[in-house]
Amino acid sequence: MSKTKTRAGLKYPDLALFAFLVIFIGFVVYRVSYSLEYRWDWGVIRQYLFRFDADKGGYVPGILVKGLAATVRLSIWSGIIATVLGFLFGVSRVYGNFFLKKISYIYVQTVRNIPSIVFVFIFYFFFSSQVLAWFGIDEAMSDLSPVSEEIVQMLFCKPSLFTAFLSAILTLGIYEGAYMTEIFRAGIESVDRGQWEASDSLGFSMFQQMRYIILPQALRRILPAIAGQIISIIKDSAIVSVISVQELTFQGMELMASTYRTFEVWIIIMVMYFGLTYTCSFFIGKLNERMDRKGYQR
Amino acid sequence: MKKTGILALLFFSLLFLSCGKGSSTGPMIDSVKKKGVLRVGMSTFVPWAMNDKKGSLIGFEIDVAKELAKDLGVKVEFIPTKWSGIIPALLTGKFDIIIGGMGITEERKKKVDFTKPYEYSGMSIVANMKNAPGLRNLEDFNRQEIIIAVRLGTTAAEAAKKYFPKARIKLFDDESQAVQELLNGRAHAVVASAPLPEFQSLKYSKKLYLPLKDTFTREPIGFALRKGDGKSVEVLNKWIDEKWSGGFLDSRKNYWFRTRKWAGQIE
Repeated sequence: MSKTKTRAGLKYPDLALFAFLVIFIGFVVYRVSYSLEYRWDWGVIRQYLFRFDADKGGYVPGILVKGLAATVRLSIWSGIIATVLGFLFGVSRVYGNFFLKKISYIYVQTVRNIPSIVFVFIFYFFFSSQVLAWFGIDEAMSDLSPVSEEIVQMLFCKPSLFTAFLSAILTLGIYEGAYMTEIFRAGIESVDRGQWEASDSLGFSMFQQMRYIILPQALRRILPAIAGQIISIIKDSAIVSVISVQELTFQGMELMASTYRTFEVWIIIMVMYFGLTYTCSFFIGKLNERMDRKGYQR
Repeated sequence: MKKTGILALLFFSLLFLSCGKGSSTGPMIDSVKKKGVLRVGMSTFVPWAMNDKKGSLIGFEIDVAKELAKDLGVKVEFIPTKWSGIIPALLTGKFDIIIGGMGITEERKKKVDFTKPYEYSGMSIVANMKNAPGLRNLEDFNRQEIIIAVRLGTTAAEAAKKYFPKARIKLFDDESQAVQELLNGRAHAVVASAPLPEFQSLKYSKKLYLPLKDTFTREPIGFALRKGDGKSVEVLNKWIDEKWSGGFLDSRKNYWFRTRKWAGQIE
């Protein structure tokens, strides 16, 4: 990938497009503020981001910021689950015996052909309430010591809402794992056949071939795709608001139901998601550039 | 391909087989006392339950649930849940009880058990001055060109369908969206439990008005429990009787529904 930055001068079509955009945005703003007679009130929102707490003598996060933190935790955990699942199923899709290949194929096809919201409901109401109940997680969570309660709160969420949170990360993880599987499969399959044959004839075992020859090359190629999928997870995590997991979208909707400040809250939510995913893409972009510089082939 | 399809089918049937009856281990009241925690399912409805500035929950239902937990000698934990999914969430054991202003209806009784009413609520209606001016009685709204916005899965939605069969009903996930639709002029009226319509007509007094002075239905509100739990229902009924005669329910009702002293806690 060569990097040639050319900045062409603005031409008339560009100017016309620019003018059109300005007029369009102006029109939307005008409609919202005058025609709708919507009473904007950003002052109310501030205290839901950060508010001064007299008891603690400092600023504490409001429910929107807490929601954002929950979204981050949710995305990290489901990202980990998705990557692990994607790796396992991706590898078994290429190397597995007949049975493993079929299992992995069914997993990918099932998940990819169901709308995520349907998957979330099915998993939450039918599966997690039964399966997670066997493990007695609720009971375990209700008699935690204060210290471990704090740890659970920091890593996941309030212990009382743990089962819902757990089924949310499992649901998202399994859902996104199907896409990850395809990424891993593509990565592994993209490694040239000759590499296999060469390593095989050099007497590498199956595991050694994977460990030293194939995976290092495959991973390098699919890293950008994995990163992109993780950004997708952040966006898809909004879906679990339907099962009342207290992440950003859910908190925002609860707040709208309390305050009726629909537009302000949606806009803040949008800005928060954008900030989060844009920051991630920015760093991934940097990572890619670095890999390009180091001369890794992609 | 065929084999794969069959395998997929098998996988699904396994999934559904694993979903037998929810774990029903004795009366809810006993297990709550054993655990020391009452898990309450609720949803945001102003002023039944809502977030205050500090992010904690306040409202009529919150007061009732806290009082109930106090009298049972247990802690209370609120599980905010989307209204449209609140009954399945109760049935699958996400919490022990719904204390969320749930109207007692025949339809709901098929799925859950209700206690005696601990409150009565009624539907009222708020309309847009610009696109539906001068409407004064219920029949005025029962016309084809009228669009009524309501919250999905509430008794307001049922009332709207029953009283205004000719009108078009638009369903939303919560009242704030329904009210926004009304303010935007894409609906002519919103039906909701009193006193929400009154509060909205006061707040937007230049855009909205109250066509009817009073509520047009009266419905009992009860706690909802999983089916077949007679003992817990009995205990709760007794508790409700005590709270009616002790004046607790009336005083809380007055505070949340007849005054707006609490408004400063929200904005």
